[in-house]
Amino acid sequence: MDIDISPLIENWQFILTGLGFTLALSALSIALGAAIGLVGGVLRTYGGKLLDSAIGLYVDVVRSIPVLAILVWTYFAFPLVIGESLTPFSGGVLALGVHLGAYITETIRAGLTSIRPGQMRAALALGMSRFEAIRTIILPQALIRMLPPLGSLIVIAVKDSAIASVIAVPELLRQSQVLAGKTFRPFEIYTAAMLIYFLICYPTARTIDRVYRRLGVLGAS
Amino acid sequence: MIAKRKTKSRPRIGSGTAPILSFEGVVKRYGPLEALAGVSFQVHRGEVVCLIGPSGSGKSTLLRCANALETIDGGRVVLEGVEVHDRRTDARKLRRRMGMVFQNFELFPHLTVLRNVAVGPTTVLGMPQRQAAERATELLRKVGLADKAAHYPASLSGGQQQRVAIARALAMQPDVMLFDEPTSALDPETIGEVLSVMKRLADEGMTMVVVTHEMDFAKRVGNWIVVFDHGKVVEQGPPQQVFDEPTVQRTRDFLSHLGWHGESLAAADLLVQPSSTDP
Ligand SMILES: Nc1ncnc2c1ncn2[C@@H]1O[C@H](COP(=O)(O)OP(=O)(O)O)[C@@H](O)[C@H]1O
Ligand SMILES: [Mg+2]
Repeated sequence: MDIDISPLIENWQFILTGLGFTLALSALSIALGAAIGLVGGVLRTYGGKLLDSAIGLYVDVVRSIPVLAILVWTYFAFPLVIGESLTPFSGGVLALGVHLGAYITETIRAGLTSIRPGQMRAALALGMSRFEAIRTIILPQALIRMLPPLGSLIVIAVKDSAIASVIAVPELLRQSQVLAGKTFRPFEIYTAAMLIYFLICYPTARTIDRVYRRLGVLGAS
Repeated sequence: MIAKRKTKSRPRIGSGTAPILSFEGVVKRYGPLEALAGVSFQVHRGEVVCLIGPSGSGKSTLLRCANALETIDGGRVVLEGVEVHDRRTDARKLRRRMGMVFQNFELFPHLTVLRNVAVGPTTVLGMPQRQAAERATELLRKVGLADKAAHYPASLSGGQQQRVAIARALAMQPDVMLFDEPTSALDPETIGEVLSVMKRLADEGMTMVVVTHEMDFAKRVGNWIVVFDHGKVVEQGPPQQVFDEPTVQRTRDFLSHLGWHGESLAAADLLVQPSSTDP
């Protein structure tokens, strides 16, 4: 098998566009998932029975459906519900973010409940409201404690962004498919795509690991 | 400032005036268990009231009821005319006036020592960071830990952590300090440094309610002793009476269980010297 990387060199901008979409899609779906997860995790833990069940339902539903099915439904079926079409990119962000949000919700909830009740008592005894106590005392410790599982979720989110290729978001995998079809060089192009995913995800995982090793002790009350 | 409390007879401070904090028939139930079965006693300004009694007798529960960390099922707690458990009472405002120190410190592990002390004023009072840091630094100096300001709690000894916790509570400039067995989780060699900080606080006139098994502290620093058993106050009075001529068999049982026979325990020396362990 002869290897010819010239299609990659000639089409680097095409690949770069894909990389840009992958990064943007990942970043925005992680931001959406984190926002959902923060609010969901806190409300599920401290918001009373009703919110707990409601958010629990969201979590269970999302976790029981393949992310691919959520994506396809969001892009093709959800527009019928709202009477307005979505761009592939915004559909991708929405679907991946809502999916990720369920997992982050559960992770943050686990972190919050793991902080011993004396910490809340100490914060309240200073005169803090429950909200202030959660924001300044409980949540920061929970996030530090949950850094390893949250890090895994972030890396998975970057990898899952490739699924958006099925709704034609021009992200890295989609661009690779197009380019491979045009140039008949699937080996070089898909290998390059894998390498690029690795080069994003591996350092991310290592960095989060290193941060946790430095901060971990601060979450141990 | 040491001299003020040296008098042997320690009359009950302000006994002619209204108490700053009073417990009137306080009842607290956990399911079928009556953790507090009608507890009444009073705390006057500048007094050190020591709560003693066997484990499980309701002392911690009482402290948590004092600053509304727990609801109550009967009676009332009154802080200078304000009923603590009244629906219309703002529990948060009330808690600012009562500092609390816990058995296992409960310092915030993700904050530096300085921020632990400053976080109350900045978060609750909206005090600017710089001003809060100044107040925190001053309080850390007072408890002998100014040099630990930038450390995290995990790197401190138990005694040092508890002194930070005292500074943290003082940062809100409370009218009353509540201590729940502040030295019970400490290594013997660090108990003294915490007790001497507390004694200094008492000498400065701080009103204190102290749950403790340190009978020497109770006898020397306390103005009023309240003996708990099974959620009830079985005896209360000035230290000489409770320790030297207890009128109730329960008190005698409890004291002899602790090895108290009317004389000072060896730990008495701990109180005399301020801590010399600080670098
Ligand atoms: N949150 C709680 N839920 C149920 N029972 C409790 C709770 N807190 C305390 N108790 C019970 O109330 C009683 C008094 O406890 P506590 O106030 O901690 O005693 P002490 O501080 O004197 O050792 C004990 O029997 C204890 O088991
Ligand atoms: Mg207790």
